[in-house]
Order: sequence, then C-alpha cells, then structure tokens
Amino acid sequence: MLGLATGPVCIASCGPVVLPWMLVQPRGVRVHARQMTLFLGARLAGYLLFASLIWMAGAAIARTWGEQSWMVGAVQLLLACGLLIYAAGWPHAHCAVARSEPPGLVQIGAAPAEPPQTRPTGAVALGFLTGINLCPPFLVAGVRVAQLPSLANALAFFALFFLGTAVWFMPLLSLSVVRRTPSFLTVARMAAVLLACWYGFSGASLLIEKAIYG
Amino acid sequence: MASAAIPHPKRRPPPFRTVGRSVLLTLPIALWALLMFTPTLRSPGLNHHIGAAAAVLFMTLLFFLMMRTGKTYRWRRYFFVTLGFLFPVGFIASLIHLRGSMSISLEHMLGGDTPFCHMVIPMILIPAALTRTVIFPGSILPTATNPHSVAVMIGLWLALTLVLGKAWCSYACFFGGIEEGFAALPKHIRIRKIDPRLRLVPWALLIAVAVLSAALFEPVYCMWLCPFKAVTEFPAVTGVKTAIQMGIFVALFVGLVVVLPFLTKKRTQCGFFCPFGAFQSLFNKINLFEIRFDRTKCADCTLCQTACPTMALSAESIREGKTLLNCMKCGACVDSCKKHAAVWHLKGTPVAVKPERARLLFLYGAWALATMLGGSIIANSLATILGFLPIR
Repeated sequence: MLGLATGPVCIASCGPVVLPWMLVQPRGVRVHARQMTLFLGARLAGYLLFASLIWMAGAAIARTWGEQSWMVGAVQLLLACGLLIYAAGWPHAHCAVARSEPPGLVQIGAAPAEPPQTRPTGAVALGFLTGINLCPPFLVAGVRVAQLPSLANALAFFALFFLGTAVWFMPLLSLSVVRRTPSFLTVARMAAVLLACWYGFSGASLLIEKAIYG
Repeated sequence: MASAAIPHPKRRPPPFRTVGRSVLLTLPIALWALLMFTPTLRSPGLNHHIGAAAAVLFMTLLFFLMMRTGKTYRWRRYFFVTLGFLFPVGFIASLIHLRGSMSISLEHMLGGDTPFCHMVIPMILIPAALTRTVIFPGSILPTATNPHSVAVMIGLWLALTLVLGKAWCSYACFFGGIEEGFAALPKHIRIRKIDPRLRLVPWALLIAVAVLSAALFEPVYCMWLCPFKAVTEFPAVTGVKTAIQMGIFVALFVGLVVVLPFLTKKRTQCGFFCPFGAFQSLFNKINLFEIRFDRTKCADCTLCQTACPTMALSAESIREGKTLLNCMKCGACVDSCKKHAAVWHLKGTPVAVKPERARLLFLYGAWALATMLGGSIIANSLATILGFLPIR
C-alpha cells in the first residue's frame, strides 16, 4: 500500500532518468517491455540491497541527511555519467532504429531484416542506480524497514514496496509506439545531456557542500 | 543618351487598400480597444488616462497600417517590441511599490506573492496530474497583493492559445519583444550559419524541465534557467546557490536576448531555448490558422527562410508547401515573399484561394487579444513612466 500510495512521487523522482532513456530506445512494444523488465529488475536489486543495509545498520543510516549526502551525491554523479553515455551512444541507437524501420522495397527471397539490438547494460545500470537513489518514498520505507524484526521481513517489505511503485511505471510503455525519427532521437539525446548536467551539478554540489561544511 | 543616364524615380507600389476600406476594416478593432480601456479612462488619474488613450491610438493605428499596406510583420513588430520593452518597466515599478525591491524573499514566496507567468504552465502539469499539487509559490485565485494568480493566467493562456495557437509567441508573450527589438537593430546579419538542430533544443529543454520539476517539486525553469528573471523578478541573493542562479539568469539574458539576436537577426531565445514555445507548438496542430506556400508561384529564392525569426522554415518544408511546427505566425515570410507564394491559410480551405480573407480572420482574433493583454500592459507601463516624470 505504501508503494502504491507513494508511486506517483516515485515515478516523478525517477522520471528524469527513465524518460530520456525510454525515448532513445527503438520503437516497438517488445523492445520496450524487455528493457523495462531489465530496468525494473535492476531497480529491485537496488531496493533489496538497500533494504539489507538499512536493516543491518538500523535507523542510524537514515538518521541525518548529512550522513547520506555523500551517497546521494555519488549516485547522482553516476546517474549523470549513465545518461551521458546513453546520449553519446546515440549513433548505435539510431542504427538500431534504422534497422527496425521497414525497408522501402522488399526483395523476394532476401533474408529477413535483423531485429533491433539493444544492449542490456544501460537498463541494468540505470535501474540499479535509481534503485539506490534516495527519494522521499524510499526514505519513508527505509525508516519502516529499520524497525522490522528480521532481514527476511525487511526484504519482503521492500519487494512489495517495489511492486507497488512498479505499477506506476507501466504507462511509460506507451512511449514504445511513438515513431522514432532522427529529430525525435536528437531531442531525446539532448534531453539526456541536459538532465545529466543537472544530476552532475546537483551531485557535485552535494559533495562540495559536504567537503566544506562536513 | 543623357536621358538614359538619369535614373527614373522609383514608383512606390500602390497601397494595398484604399484609406476608406482600411478605416472600415479597422473600426471593429478601434471599438474593441475603446471598450477595453473604458474602465481606465473613467478611473481618476491623468497618467492612466494618457496611457490608456495612447494605447488605444497605438493599437488602432497599427491595425489600420496593416490593413492599408497589406503587411503584417512590420507593424506587428512595432507593437511587440514596445510591449517587450515596456513590460519590465511596469512590472518592476509594481514590484518596488509592493515590496520595495525586484528580488523576492522566501517569506514572500511562502506567502504566495509570486506572480504566475505563462512559462510555468508546462512545468505544473505532470505534478498536478500525479499528486494534485500546484508546484508554484503563488496563489490559485487573485488576491489584493497578487492579481496575477495561477487561475487568471491559465485562463488567459488557454483562451488565447485556442484562438492563436503558437501565435501566442508573436502577439501575446510579453518577453519576446525584447529580443525582437535587438534583432531589428543591425542592418546586416553577422552570423549566417546556424545549425538547424538548434531548433530541437526547446523540445529537449521542455522534456528536461517538465520531468525535473516533477522530481524536485519546484518550477525548475523559473528557479534556474529563465533569462527574463534578470529584468523582472528574481530570488533574493542570500548565498552561493542564489548567486549562481542570478549569474545564470544574467548570462542567459545577455547571451540569448541581447547579443545573439543582434548578431543573427533571429529571436534566439524564442527559437532555440524557450521550452514554453515548444509546448505552445503542439497547439499549432489544433489551431485553424497557418502559413502555406503556393508551389506554383514559389521561386525557391529562400527569402522567406532568411526572414523567418525562429528558423521555422526548411527547404523540405517549403517544398511540401508548409512551415515547421514551431511557426509563430508572425507573418515575416509572407511579407518578404516577392512572388506572393507565402500565404495565410485557414485549415480546411483550398490553399492560396482568398488568402487575404484568412489573414483578416486571423488578425482580428490576434489583434483583439493583443490589444486586451499587450495593450493594457503598454497603457499601465506608460502611466508608470509618466508618474516618474516631474510634470504635473
């Protein structure tokens, strides 16, 4: 219930990463469904890792924002790098899109078109990083987990919390039907760069602030 | 032989319409302008009377000239640049009257005293849909200290957008006139080669600010990227963060609104940066008015492409007889076309058949709304300036 209730805030928090990443994917429901599954799977892994850490460390890890700012800053810098890699890897994505488009003329007897190839590493990396990125619903769930009696309970709690939030990601699959033109992909790539700039700025600010003020 | 050396005096082209017909066509706008400013003309205060009378005359005269000459862009530009340069005057004066400063403090933000601007609209949509929250520190309904509330501005924007589509950016936006003014200053273009991919930046920025605003629960564009904060209202500089914000505002204003328009003769902020402009482009799809090209007359001279202030034309789009989605319907291409191939068009009617009728229908709507919104800003700002003058 906590996951379902806080899902809108979750999707809003992860939106700056998920949206440009989805937009640079080739068109097609199957491609998007596969990528989304990988993303959510990696996100679940991040959730469970965080749940284990919180349960072991107790509420201490979530006691003060100052203690967490190192991690938040580092995760944001990694997210910035991830988005920049996606933006820079655009030519590959563009080739995949070109392959997925139907050819103008079909030669009888020719080999069938190669299906678009997308690498799973990006989805896994971004999913894991968003899984350990602190957002308000995540902190609420973390505080609850710290009070649970066993690790199994903590993991089960976070797994169900994940399921509740994951439901809110499903509407994003509708982006798979939007036609990918070169202009569309350029926009997605530019958006990824802009969002990477923000994550980079925010992460660096947090780390500098921590280094100066402790 | 001697007579051949003497140049023939240039014949001025005949006016587009007779004075009588132009006056008749201007009458509805004149009456509308009078109706708009009657409350101001009745209220006490000589400065406001003069401001309102000047605005009525100004808007009516420009419309008359549009009718008389058949040119749209030239006369619209006078209005738009005047609006762009007068808006900050009236706005800053009202801020200083209310708060004593252009900067806004955290207390005023929390008190809902921040005037709502149309730029925020794309940023509030996702958070409003997901969490039913308006992520702007303003008031939903007008108050005594803040008449520019969220509801008023969204209502105005919606009404104007349904009538004008992206022409909002040429007839209603009170920011674009500043850069159009700077773009009009030089005689020659200094930077000609502009990467056409820059047209896509506003779309990327729209996606970025919309999702970031939802993630951070604050209007990111207003907090970090709005060039016009430099000449309107900005967060009070109280630390490193606000100093960086102010630095970004000033740098963007100088670069995108002053220097680049001067060098390129383009509206660089509107065409290559403004995310609201990209959002507004979507409404061109449902708007009735557009610019089309009569391919039977087009000489592919690219004069229209050079004239377009936001690069809303490409060789391919002209070949297809259309503009790109980001066309602001300013009329620059129509005015510049010597073959009369660029024409105003009402969707659902044949292209280049009675284009003047389409232009008239568009201009009546656009100018009536420009008079209502821009005219009132001009009138108030003139009254403010007159108030500063030591004349009684």
